[in-house]
Amino acid sequence: MFEARLVQGNLLKKVLESLKDLLTEASWDCADTGIQLQAMDNSHVSLVSVQLRADGFDKFRCDRQLSMGMNLTSMSKILRCAANDDIITIKAQDQADNVTFVFESPNQEKVADYEMKLMNLDQEHLGIPETDYAAVIKLPAAEFQRIIKDLSQFGESVVISCTKEGVKFSAAGDIGVGNIKLAQTASVDKEEEAVTIEMQEPVTLTFACRYLNMFTKATCLAPQVTLSMSPEVPLVVEYKIGDMGHVRYYLAPKIEDEDN
Amino acid sequence: MGIQGLSKLIADVAPAAIKENEIKNYFGRKVAIDASMSLYQFLIAVRSEGAQLTTADGETTSHLMGTFYRTIRMVENGIKPVYVFDGKPPTMKSGELEKRGEKRAEAEAALEKAKELGNQDEVDKQSRRLVKVGKSHVEDCKELLKFMGIPFVSAPCEAEAQCAELVKSGKVYAVGTEDMDALTFGTKVLLRHLTFSEARKMPIKEFYYDQVLEGFNMTQDQFIDLCILLGCDYCDKIKGVGPKNAIKLVQDHKSIEEIIKHLDGKKFSPPENWLFSEARRLFKEPEVTPASEIDLKWEKPDEEGLVKYMCEQKGFAEDRIRNGAKKLLKARQGSTQGRLDGFFKVLPSTPKAGTNKRKSEETKVGSGKKTKTPTGKGFRR
Repeated sequence: MFEARLVQGNLLKKVLESLKDLLTEASWDCADTGIQLQAMDNSHVSLVSVQLRADGFDKFRCDRQLSMGMNLTSMSKILRCAANDDIITIKAQDQADNVTFVFESPNQEKVADYEMKLMNLDQEHLGIPETDYAAVIKLPAAEFQRIIKDLSQFGESVVISCTKEGVKFSAAGDIGVGNIKLAQTASVDKEEEAVTIEMQEPVTLTFACRYLNMFTKATCLAPQVTLSMSPEVPLVVEYKIGDMGHVRYYLAPKIEDEDN
Repeated sequence: MGIQGLSKLIADVAPAAIKENEIKNYFGRKVAIDASMSLYQFLIAVRSEGAQLTTADGETTSHLMGTFYRTIRMVENGIKPVYVFDGKPPTMKSGELEKRGEKRAEAEAALEKAKELGNQDEVDKQSRRLVKVGKSHVEDCKELLKFMGIPFVSAPCEAEAQCAELVKSGKVYAVGTEDMDALTFGTKVLLRHLTFSEARKMPIKEFYYDQVLEGFNMTQDQFIDLCILLGCDYCDKIKGVGPKNAIKLVQDHKSIEEIIKHLDGKKFSPPENWLFSEARRLFKEPEVTPASEIDLKWEKPDEEGLVKYMCEQKGFAEDRIRNGAKKLLKARQGSTQGRLDGFFKVLPSTPKAGTNKRKSEETKVGSGKKTKTPTGKGFRR
């Protein structure tokens, strides 16, 4: 049987908010080490990978590995029924057709449980090689969200270029051009507001705003976001989930067309 | 046309081989379009009050309208189409063509009758059955595509076979046709409904050849034999053998030769002078231009040329044509969105292998409880 109890139920609510625009359904793979999810969006341009480690839960039991296919829209509906300070428990039998979500109020006076049908999903898993990225940029998550939102007004894609001086986001379109430059923070008073860049070589890549905007739905999860880039490989956008795991988004870059 | 009942049979027996997708998810894909098929579609479907669109002189323009707008729709969605036109039909098809001729005659008679009776619905229906793609239609379209900057290929023989050749060589990703025999020719990915009107909101249906073979549990040769048994354009089939029977016969006996030997003579008899082995050869080694000799280039649209051809000669409205040319030009700008499958490899679909890998990466066990490892594949590492 499978049972996972999370006192900070809020985290799970936020994780779902960060997924449901990109994916309509996905499999949660449960093992004794924790819960994982990996899925691509329909167009195979982006991929989400979620990890929730077992040690982050207050109680975690998984006797057999199991894969629970869920409709994320339905799951999100259920999780919206939980209050922000509720304790959430997820339960399923080994060969279950259903999963149960239990929401307890902190004072234990209210207990709600919701049952949802599981789906049989046949999803492709991708092997993501370990990569040393040429540039790793850390910046406040809210700042990143704002930048993408602002630049989306100018064009369909945003160019991210990282040099020694800092990182530049630009977009061009019918109404004109927009550029936002961020320099590394000189003195770090508050770690959460710092911009840090670790760079081996300068990188410039182009990405679709539409996807970046969907990624920034995870802004509520963490104060900082990490962008990892290397020439001609997908971008990684990572948000930590408390100290129990992460949501990672991978996005294929836009490439120049060779046979036009 | 095509293979009788094949799509239904795939849906029943190998549902995993069919996927539905939206047109916008095909950005960056090169697709070979079976031009004759789409021309028929346009001549039948692109109509105004039941009649084909024509110029002032009564020259049909439905096919141009269809080719122009539906091509733009594909290009706007990032698809790179290449049209493949039919050459001369193989001699084996003469029997089928004769039958189609008879059907036309029937339709013609029915049309006359409907006209006499004044039944408008029936007149529409029968006149649609009478549609025939002629040489001039094909020439018109080639001319139009040239101005649009869209490449086309003139096949020496069957267009579906040429499309399959382009897919097999990797020149294009898929074939867009309604005709299922493209699959018999070995097309890896077949797309249906690609050239349908946007207004119909029809999702695109993908058929995957490899998954079809896997689901049917057949080799390529056996699949061709199955298609012949289902009924193809090149020869007759065994009377009374339906799809369910056909698939069972091929699975049991592996080839038409063996099937004939084991056939229940009382119930079924193979057609006289059955040319199945010739039909088989046509599917296996069709007359095509090798893909290596074909160079596909998507050029800039020639706006002035388009206006001259479409407006001056064919009587289309100039602003619409110019608008279309702008759309074609705009779609060429900018870069193409990449796909993750181009960067990351798809793992074999054994879910246990995936979870196992994770296990080895992390040794921490949160529950502190000794958990049972599942038996079977779980011990692979």
